[in-house]
Amino acid sequence: MKSRESFARLQDYYDLAVKAPFGIFRKPFYFRETIEQMDYGGSGSLFIVFLVSLFIGMALSLQTSAELAEMGLKMYTGRVVGLSIIKEIGPVAIALSFAGRVGSGMASEIGSMTLGHQVDILRVHGVSPIKKLVSPRVISSIIMLPVLTVIGDAVALIGGYFVAVTAANQSGSVYWSQIKQIMEFTTIFSGVIKPFIFGYLISTISCYMGLSTRGGARGLRKSTTEAVVYSTIMIIISDFMVTKILIMALGIPV
Amino acid sequence: MIEFRNVTLAYGRNVVLKDVSFMCQFHEKIAVLGGSGGGKTTILKLMLGLIKPDSGQILVDGQDITVMSESELRDIRMKFSIVFQEGALFDSMNVKENVAFSLREYTKSSEEEIDKRVRDLLKILKIEKAIDLMPEELSGGMQRRVAIARSLAGCEPKMMLYDEATTGLDPLTADNICNLINELSKGEPPGRVGFIIVTHKVTDAAKVAERYIFIRNGNIIFDGNIDELKKTEDATLKKFINELYVVDGYA
Repeated sequence: MKSRESFARLQDYYDLAVKAPFGIFRKPFYFRETIEQMDYGGSGSLFIVFLVSLFIGMALSLQTSAELAEMGLKMYTGRVVGLSIIKEIGPVAIALSFAGRVGSGMASEIGSMTLGHQVDILRVHGVSPIKKLVSPRVISSIIMLPVLTVIGDAVALIGGYFVAVTAANQSGSVYWSQIKQIMEFTTIFSGVIKPFIFGYLISTISCYMGLSTRGGARGLRKSTTEAVVYSTIMIIISDFMVTKILIMALGIPV
Repeated sequence: MIEFRNVTLAYGRNVVLKDVSFMCQFHEKIAVLGGSGGGKTTILKLMLGLIKPDSGQILVDGQDITVMSESELRDIRMKFSIVFQEGALFDSMNVKENVAFSLREYTKSSEEEIDKRVRDLLKILKIEKAIDLMPEELSGGMQRRVAIARSLAGCEPKMMLYDEATTGLDPLTADNICNLINELSKGEPPGRVGFIIVTHKVTDAAKVAERYIFIRNGNIIFDGNIDELKKTEDATLKKFINELYVVDGYA
């Protein structure tokens, strides 16, 4: 019974995840809702992204320069920090913050609409909840998470620079020249492609959890928690898979 | 005509409806009574195709809606208007936007036409002053009125569905809502707009309904008019209608 239920849920999620992105190609278009969601998910997340990225960049730079100093390789701090931030830590850390702030918000908002029969009202009035509620959130996440990631990466590199110069007594120009060297197509592409996938996963999982909310306040708590938990798990798993695929596709030697 | 044929539905292990069968016309005034969690609201949701039964058929004008897709159900849903418990208004929209919602989604009406229709409806429901208010600024009774206005805005239903329309309201406001329900369903059958009101308040049901369906443990244990209801020998039903005797002065 439980496995049948899980299979049915997976099927419902698949249905939502396939239909949602194509919602923008068919009338009616919900531009206002999409812009609202972009504002909430994008501009609204700037502060948390700024803080998270700044301190990650600073901690990483401190840790890296301490380790490299022992081997006499401190001048490579910029290179290590840059590669780690742009390819891995930046996209993942910002996606996790996004899941915590925006994903949980999506699940609780849609969940409370489901419990309050507002989703039923949409269906009664012939409006598809996927088009009206899910598509704007998915589209806005796919657009805004990469933008936030680029901003977060830049802030993290600046934080790393600040620590490298002030705490680790390195030359600022060496730090930036190291980062300049790694700014190749493969590095940037690896870092920028991931947030598109993470944004899609976070928004579809969170909206699905919201729409499948049952059982009052306790059910709402469960669906909000599940949205963040499943998003986190999927971010980590998909990060590994995308990295593996990119290494194979771009022919990077391991 | 609406017909439930041997409908069974369970939420997990909780069987809400067991082999339920009944038939009704669009012009009928029906009250579905029963205790909380007894499957009353489920009947309304099944009727609109919002949920599908585990087994059985639901026929609306001879069409089995249990096998229909969302797009096919659209025409069926146009025959009904539903007012959910506590209104189910969109909290991000003010009263005008809530009432105009279906007009904007369904029709190609101009802003002037929408504005006129919304104001007319709010006037009929005596809440024209609330046009710019947000749902959280409205009282319970006003929320139900706005919900009724919204349900009437986009279509001309053959039947209204009220889910606990008077629950949580003070007696005076509940009475006003009952009067409004009667007002919206005035006229003679078969032309009039009928309704199904789901409630556990038998006194409110008695003010509006002509036919009573009582559900207990997922089964229909009574289906008849008020006189038959008062003559019942069923102990649970008797307890339920005691309230009615008190109000009528029989006790």
